[in-house]
Amino acid sequence: MLFDGDELTIALDMPMEEIREFELFVRPRLEYIETIEVEEGTSLRSSSLLALLVSLKRTRPELKIPFLDKGLTASSGNGTLHWMCHD
Amino acid sequence: MEPYIGCVMTKQEQVKAIFIEEAGEIIEKLDVNILRFEEDSSDFDLLNEIFRGVHTLKGNANAFGFTRLGEFVHHFEDVLDHYRSTKEDVEEHLLELFVESVDIIKEVMICELDALPDLPNGYPDCLKSIKNLIASKKNGSLLPTIEETQEVFGDLASEFAFESPRGTEEAVEKSIQFHRAMQEDGLNLYKIELTLDADCYKRGFDHLLFLNLLGEKAKSLESFFDMEDVSTLDTFSSDVNSIKKVHVIVLTPQTEEEVAENFEYLFDNEYHITLIAPVVAQAAIEKKEVIEETIETLKKPKAEERRGTERVTTGSTIRIDTFKLDELFDSVGELVIAQNFIAQNEQIRAIEDESIKRAIETLSKITKKIQDRVMSLRMVAIRDTFDKMKRVVRDTSKKTGKELHLNVQGEETEIDKTMIDSLSDPLIHIIRNAIDHGLESDAAERLSVGKKVEGTITLRAYHKSGSIVISVSDDGRGINKEKVLQKAIERGVITGDENLTDSQIFGLIMQPGFSTADTISDLSGRGVGLDVVKTSIEKLRGKVEIDSKEGVGTTFSMVLPLTLAIIDGMLVQTAGEIYIIPTLSVVESFRPNREIVNIIKGQGEFVSMRGQHIPVIRLSDVFDLTTDRIPPWEGILVCVETEAGRIAIMVDELIGRQQVVIKPLGKSLAKLKEITGGAILGSGDIALILNVDELRPLIEGAHGTA
Repeated sequence: MLFDGDELTIALDMPMEEIREFELFVRPRLEYIETIEVEEGTSLRSSSLLALLVSLKRTRPELKIPFLDKGLTASSGNGTLHWMCHD
Repeated sequence: MEPYIGCVMTKQEQVKAIFIEEAGEIIEKLDVNILRFEEDSSDFDLLNEIFRGVHTLKGNANAFGFTRLGEFVHHFEDVLDHYRSTKEDVEEHLLELFVESVDIIKEVMICELDALPDLPNGYPDCLKSIKNLIASKKNGSLLPTIEETQEVFGDLASEFAFESPRGTEEAVEKSIQFHRAMQEDGLNLYKIELTLDADCYKRGFDHLLFLNLLGEKAKSLESFFDMEDVSTLDTFSSDVNSIKKVHVIVLTPQTEEEVAENFEYLFDNEYHITLIAPVVAQAAIEKKEVIEETIETLKKPKAEERRGTERVTTGSTIRIDTFKLDELFDSVGELVIAQNFIAQNEQIRAIEDESIKRAIETLSKITKKIQDRVMSLRMVAIRDTFDKMKRVVRDTSKKTGKELHLNVQGEETEIDKTMIDSLSDPLIHIIRNAIDHGLESDAAERLSVGKKVEGTITLRAYHKSGSIVISVSDDGRGINKEKVLQKAIERGVITGDENLTDSQIFGLIMQPGFSTADTISDLSGRGVGLDVVKTSIEKLRGKVEIDSKEGVGTTFSMVLPLTLAIIDGMLVQTAGEIYIIPTLSVVESFRPNREIVNIIKGQGEFVSMRGQHIPVIRLSDVFDLTTDRIPPWEGILVCVETEAGRIAIMVDELIGRQQVVIKPLGKSLAKLKEITGGAILGSGDIALILNVDELRPLIEGAHGTA
């Protein structure tokens, strides 16, 4: 995880423990984060991170999460994954 | 590997403890099955069973973060899957790799449980061999990967425009249409709905975990996460699953049953699988399914028949912690005591009322029935332990280069569960000893004495006089009595003046540090081991008997009580106190003639029996009881076998033989080495259970100072 100015870069392949830490980290800092980017070459390891990103976006709609905005991702292990936010 | 640790466990810890226990069972089963498969590599039912075990282990290992175990079993599973699906013959040299792989799985499991940073030595090489094998098998024969499929059908996917679906259902329907268009022979299309519970992450499950499992075999995999219920941060927690539903569309060669195996640890309400039939061939497929189902139904009984009695029928079972069983057993013990108290109470017996007598009789019968049934809950067949020994025999045979045949008898014999775990090590040592030292060193030696080249080891379990006997016999060279005696004298174990029976001479080889082996191998013969076997069996309140005939063979018999919770004892009385002598030790009891009792100055009283002078031990002396000092011929002598030879325990009266529930002693009495426990009798009296092995040294001291 890299916090550079107002941009936060995270790895998608975080295990549960890191996701919990990430949640604890981001909660008090949400107001100062403009963008959340994802590290290239990483793929989702837990659906919990996807849900957390959706929750962050719902809490602060102006937050930019380009990965989430795409609506889908593909990886060799998980195939093509879509998410429907109904927003 | 007990799931219960006597304190409050979190749900996750409980699930993990169950995993550890189940993984242990799977690995034990693998160990046995892989050897059976080595014997008959054409048994594809068995290969399927091995595959299923490995598959379950993989799922569990990954779910609990045991990634090193997960990775190894994942590749091993690939190899097994290749052979079971192609029905290709397994080359003989690969069988050794299979056996080695199971060894590595066992070792990695230990590393994972103990959180050891280093992997077993053979791990990288074995994994490499497995990977190489599967790579060589894969060349040109398997389906394209998911990426390849996605690349090929990428344009079509964009044509169906999943990027901005108006609703989940619509997107899922489009995906089904897309995959139907791609469906070809040998591929099945499934729609899977995952509705995982809120606590799924805490239980070690994750939607992505299941996608990964499906992806291993899938040609194409697509999923749709419905995020409608994900809340804002004020009520959100990443530990709690808030993803309402995930639709998965998968195109795979797997059958519905195989797909379902991926979800076997989920609750039934957490997943739903629907087979989607191709549009054109739907009717034909439905017909085919009916035919396949019928064939499968017809096949099943035949497969079961072929396995015959080897399979244990699995009825409806539940797991119960042995701790709870022990508690139940203790309670039943109390019930038996209370029932005996009622039945033997003089005042109650004096009541002249038929209905009361009948009620007491009924109570007695029911209590006995309950006691028997509770006892049977602790009993398990020794089959699994014997199965494990097959591996020991195989490995020892290979190490020593001795050809041999293992003959197993009485696998169904039941034994107390708490004893089973303590039996493995002694049994392994005796078997290794029998192969390494019992059997002749080479084929030439066997042929020279008119025996077959192939030696025979017989493993047997049976009931004998209320005890369970587990014996290991070899048809080897037998024990050389002279050599044993000579060695015992050299080492000062005996003086040479003793008049020892054959059994006592053979028993000398179990003395600490005693070994007649000319060479020391890495299997046995280090002079340690047999004494440890003896100690281990004695801790189970059993004994080891050795019978041997030179040139014919040797039998080690472990004589064990039926259970550790109950003892079959002879009740004796001295100075008004009741004591219990374990029946297993009792040789005979008698009132001696005056002529056979001798008093040797400075050494004490002895009784002469069949040419042997047996020391007489007065219980009243041992426990410092006040009583009239009557001569031995006016009392009763109970002759018992101890580790140091026979002794005659002098008592006032024999009360009878009875099974008693053993009760632990309090702190002060526990220090008395002459006593192993206590028991509450039907009269409510307490009787102490004697440790006969500890009576001898004390009386020798007393004799010495007399």
